[in-house]
Amino acid sequence: MKTGFSVFLACFVALGASWYGFVYGPLKQLGVEQQTVILQSTDNWPQQRTGEATLGLQVYRQYGCAACHTEQVRQTGAANELDVLTLGTHNAEDFKGFMKSLLVVPELMTSSNDIVANLDKWNGQLPLVLYYGQNADAVSALAEKLKPVGVKTDARVVAVGPDIARGWGTRQSVAADYLYDQPVQLGSLRAGPDLTTIGVREPDVNWQLLHLYAPNCVVPNSTMPPFHNLFEVRKKVNGQVSPDALPLPKGFALGDDMEVVPTTEARQLVAYLLTLKNNAPLYEAPFTPVTAAK
Amino acid sequence: MSDENKSCCNTPAGEPTATRSAAPMWIIVVTLALLFTGGLYLDNHGGWFNSKVYAPYKSVDQLEAFQPKSGAAAVAAQGKKVYEAVCGICHGVDGAGKPGQAPPLAGSEWVITKGDSRLAHIPLQGLSGAITVEGKQWNLNMAAMGAALSDSDLAAVLTYMRTSWGNKAGEVSVDDVKKARDAIGGHAQPMSGDQMSKMPE
Repeated sequence: MKTGFSVFLACFVALGASWYGFVYGPLKQLGVEQQTVILQSTDNWPQQRTGEATLGLQVYRQYGCAACHTEQVRQTGAANELDVLTLGTHNAEDFKGFMKSLLVVPELMTSSNDIVANLDKWNGQLPLVLYYGQNADAVSALAEKLKPVGVKTDARVVAVGPDIARGWGTRQSVAADYLYDQPVQLGSLRAGPDLTTIGVREPDVNWQLLHLYAPNCVVPNSTMPPFHNLFEVRKKVNGQVSPDALPLPKGFALGDDMEVVPTTEARQLVAYLLTLKNNAPLYEAPFTPVTAAK
Repeated sequence: MSDENKSCCNTPAGEPTATRSAAPMWIIVVTLALLFTGGLYLDNHGGWFNSKVYAPYKSVDQLEAFQPKSGAAAVAAQGKKVYEAVCGICHGVDGAGKPGQAPPLAGSEWVITKGDSRLAHIPLQGLSGAITVEGKQWNLNMAAMGAALSDSDLAAVLTYMRTSWGNKAGEVSVDDVKKARDAIGGHAQPMSGDQMSKMPE
């Protein structure tokens, strides 16, 4: 076989190139991910899970939750926003007039139509979203112009996308978020909602347990199957209710002498679900968090 | 059948023969054009394989442009950072104070004053002697911890104290800090609680 060496070489290059592209390249690029500092904060991200929650990930995997739920939020863009918090000495009407008189400077020319439209549809309520769009210069120029006249503004960066519009997160998922997931439960089908931020959306342990026992008692018309085998249905001991028993609503409650108690697996799974809260702004996924203190 | 065989084999001139010929020009042009546009696309969207650049961001520059730089959140974050580095060691990261070290800031009447001019004097001058905080007597010394901080850092940290841990007072501006610093001038003396209560808020 005269061409033996060429065939070997061709196979080697073909397999080698795909190994390089699918294994070595991504490992080189993302294998160095480690804890990072949350933007404008001293806290680290992500945090190692507690032992109970780490075991909960295995329960999540065992029950095949990833078959119907994803853990990945997508983002299609980002925008700059300028909110007006107080009007200083102006009232709503003359603020409109005053703003329109400011729009002649060159930095604001390209955005002036948007700003005028925002002012025209404004109902006088604060905070007013004065600018929303891609132009970062317009935001800083507006903030600069409004500061000396005593108008308080807040410049914000917001992540945009259909997943974010559904309330499934404030930013997209990035590689660092999955640092302590072993294995990563990305999921690909969304028969149920995305769970990336379920720990923020439903932080109540009892809600989570009730939802696992009988989804319909907290989410009417839910198509999720009940996971009864995560719970123990038993007779009350001496007629006393156990402190761990689920507070089942009317229509789901069992007989007077019965109670439903979550098993260790259920507790681990809920502990894991409550750690799912990708709500920290990172360098690679920036946004301005809502400040609690106002 | 034999006829076909004959017609085939009797005319060897009809056999196709392999010859070398140059690839058509248009294939070369199209390939080069595809490579060129692919290169341009990679250049514009690839972020140069930087692991921090995820779609929809196309480059590090664009990502930098979307980093939140100003606004209330930035001030709060700056304040928190300074607080945890300078004040939190004695007053506690939760502002609850530490017995024998420093009185609480959360809910303290000295922090959530109506006006915003007196508070800046405490970190700029320091405190010594008796002071009553939330009905409890403290008798400790505090150095002028804020004297070395910049005006904007000090304003941010005072604002953080006045808006965190359930405190709901107005913010301290950079101008307030500047005024306090000018009023003290070069002779910073630690104050006592009595002296401070005589100052206008």
